[in-house]
Amino acid sequence: MMELLYDYSGDFDPSFDHSKLSKEGLVDLLHTYSDYIRRLDGHWYLSVMNRCGNDTAFACDTEVWERLVLYELKIARDLLNIRGDDAVAVAKVFQASPWFWMYRCGIDLKSRDHLIITYTSCPTLFALEREGAGRERQICVDLEMKIFMKMAHFYNPKMKVTALKLPPRSGPDDICCRWEFKIEENK
Amino acid sequence: MTKFLPDYSGPFEPDFSHEKLSREALLKILKGNSNYLRRLDATWYVTIMKKCGNDLAFECDTEIWEKFINYELDTVCETLNIHGNDVATLIKAMQATPWMWVHNRTFELKDKNRAVITYRDCQTLLHLEKEGTERWDTICHALERRLFELTAEYFNPKIKVTALKLPPRARGSDICCQWEFKLEE
Repeated sequence: MMELLYDYSGDFDPSFDHSKLSKEGLVDLLHTYSDYIRRLDGHWYLSVMNRCGNDTAFACDTEVWERLVLYELKIARDLLNIRGDDAVAVAKVFQASPWFWMYRCGIDLKSRDHLIITYTSCPTLFALEREGAGRERQICVDLEMKIFMKMAHFYNPKMKVTALKLPPRSGPDDICCRWEFKIEENK
Repeated sequence: MTKFLPDYSGPFEPDFSHEKLSREALLKILKGNSNYLRRLDATWYVTIMKKCGNDLAFECDTEIWEKFINYELDTVCETLNIHGNDVATLIKAMQATPWMWVHNRTFELKDKNRAVITYRDCQTLLHLEKEGTERWDTICHALERRLFELTAEYFNPKIKVTALKLPPRARGSDICCQWEFKLEE
């Protein structure tokens, strides 16, 4: 049986790939690469913003994420077999997202048709607050709403998304944002 | 004994985390994330190119990756405990990059100070070939070379990078590009 590696501190292995790593090694990599994804996305935004202004950067960001979120949902469906047409599927997708490690997020599944998500720590919002340009009004309010709507409708076109609490925060102890996903039959 | 999940098709678990998944499931996600990264990067490029032209998109791409490559190498080396200043160390880091599942590459370590990397399958080049605008001049010839040079410099400024084979590919060729890394004392 192949001995699994926790890391790659040993000799060069011509056939090395991630499949040679132990479960603990894979979990650590996933954790690290979660931040990698976030940073790469942030670098693209800032690079465009510095050259063409925030309006162009935000228009690109919106277009990129309206497409990419569908791919993310497809990964969740195909790789993790997350299926369904209720709020449970959405809750599971949040938990399994490639970004999930970067956020502290409470998932309160009230019923199979009603979900509340509360972000208590969000590196994106913290960076926007430090920047002080008020961009959280676009990123967290406009774009996040569009993305969450896409997620909800991927599973069920009747699912409604409501922002219960949005930035700006009242202070460092305040939550970052809170969202409700709800299916209201026959309304 | 704890039973790990092959996927997340079962009931909602309030305290779900990736640790609950089996090793095989984690590996599938890592592969998925590799492709996710490629799409994220490419979608940004193409979106800017359509809105503002290829010159600006390439300028952004270069600026980002010139900065980001060091972060990537820090991340890979720290997480996987890869240390050293020879070509063998550099190759180990390249094998373990988050992008590893996107390409089909072979690594030939001639000795600890000389290696040849051959890309036999590259999604980016396949896309560029379909697009037909010869953007490999910038992406593969200029940016890739620059990134490999920065990667070499990260481990040892004396490591030299030489492109042995670059696009466009001859019809029927199974090599996208080929690079040599050599430490010259």
